Amino acid sequence: MRYSPTLVDHFLNPRNAGMMRDPDSVGETEDTECGDLARFFLRVRDGRAVEVRFQTYGCGPTIAAASVASELSRGRLVDELCRLEAREIEHALDGLPDDRKHAADVAAGALRAAAARYRARGG
Amino acid sequence: MSRRVYLDHNASTPVHPEVLAEMLPYFGEVYGNPSSIHAFGREAREGMDQARERVASFLNVSSQEIVFTSGGTESDNFALKGLAGARGKGHIITSQVEHHAVLRAARALEAQGFDLTCVGVDEFGIVDPDDVRRAIRPDTVAISIMHANSEVGTLQPIEAIGRIARERGIPFHVDAVQTLGKLPLDVNALGIDVLSFSAHKIYGPKGAAGIFIRKGTKMVAVQHGGEHERRRRAGTENVAGIVGLGKAVELRGREMHAEAPRVAALRDRLWEGVRARVPEVRLSGHPTQRLPGTASLLFRHVESESIVLGLDLKGIGVSAGSACTSGNVEPSHVLVAMGVTLDWAMGAVRCSLGRSTSAEDIDYVVECVEPLVRKLRQAMPVGAA
Repeated sequence: MRYSPTLVDHFLNPRNAGMMRDPDSVGETEDTECGDLARFFLRVRDGRAVEVRFQTYGCGPTIAAASVASELSRGRLVDELCRLEAREIEHALDGLPDDRKHAADVAAGALRAAAARYRARGG
Repeated sequence: MSRRVYLDHNASTPVHPEVLAEMLPYFGEVYGNPSSIHAFGREAREGMDQARERVASFLNVSSQEIVFTSGGTESDNFALKGLAGARGKGHIITSQVEHHAVLRAARALEAQGFDLTCVGVDEFGIVDPDDVRRAIRPDTVAISIMHANSEVGTLQPIEAIGRIARERGIPFHVDAVQTLGKLPLDVNALGIDVLSFSAHKIYGPKGAAGIFIRKGTKMVAVQHGGEHERRRRAGTENVAGIVGLGKAVELRGREMHAEAPRVAALRDRLWEGVRARVPEVRLSGHPTQRLPGTASLLFRHVESESIVLGLDLKGIGVSAGSACTSGNVEPSHVLVAMGVTLDWAMGAVRCSLGRSTSAEDIDYVVECVEPLVRKLRQAMPVGAA
């Protein structure tokens, strides 16, 4: 298996998958080359993401990346999420093969977009 | 995970034990070069001659019309470049749904100055023989149409196209890598001049394949060197592999007639099982004009590779219709040519059954597919494709 046990676990049992009712912010990103898409929903209290949910369209690693990203971002300050880097998601998945690095990029991009949109609205 | 189910026989097959048994001496005591005139060489030559006879007998042709190659891709390249090279310039006709070995060889010839027409297909993936007829020009040097499509299993109207090619005196190449050994194949009745086939799709070894070249067909060699294969394909032959190819073809001649209806019934069981449990799924390809063991399932709004990965984790081997390589997802060129929209084409999964596939295997796959697709769809935004 070319994927880590952590990645496989998140792929088979994605955490926080699905839509959120009345989110405080939504952000998405699409990898135009690869066609993968991720969308993150945030519920924010006192400047922190208290609930994070996602939807994604993509290969297994993309689903796993979005799942692990939703876990590692919960409880963090929105300001921090605006600077979230793909390599943190990749690290949390115990690595990604070279030809699947885009999975972490797509998840990080969508989360940053959701955080930035919240901040832009003055939240 | 203990159960393993292999449903990727269009990609490759396990070597039949009887094939392996015939090959083994050619890795040991029979080691001569078949071009050598001494006894060691003659022993190797005998094994190869028998293989050539077996293939020729299956196709009902002369053994002198069979040339061995290293694989289906080489055979396809040899066919197109050999036919085109014999004329030097002109026009080539093929279809949009060919294997890349044909399509890219044709594109390479186009880059060298040949004109190329790739005829389209209908929603089932079938070439209209009249489209081929209309595409013919006075300078058409070759027509190349596959017998069965490896992705969706659709069979082409080879006999009708062969008749047109013969009427116009144009050499007709057929890529039969997915059909030789699965379906009866009479190259004379079908009007075929050149035919590609391969061993590892029919329980033979990888690295052994061949090409039928009808006597009198003008073709140039693509690979130059010694006098092997009657100067049509240079290079010391893969004797053990060729012996395996011959045995595999012989076995298929005996087994394929009974196997085809059995495998077709299992494929129907798979499709009916999936259709009954999973919403928004389609079977692509022609409903009846198709390979017995191939089911190309399209799951709407799910990405193929995630299904392949999910099934892999259950011990099931199937293949993705769209491929994400180096961060680039391409829907299958076959499905695109058939007019399948992206929301369906990106969720294409090919299941190809074989001689060892059982009803229990199929029921297990059906059991695994339903919860997997349901879970994947939960995470996926509808309409995102």
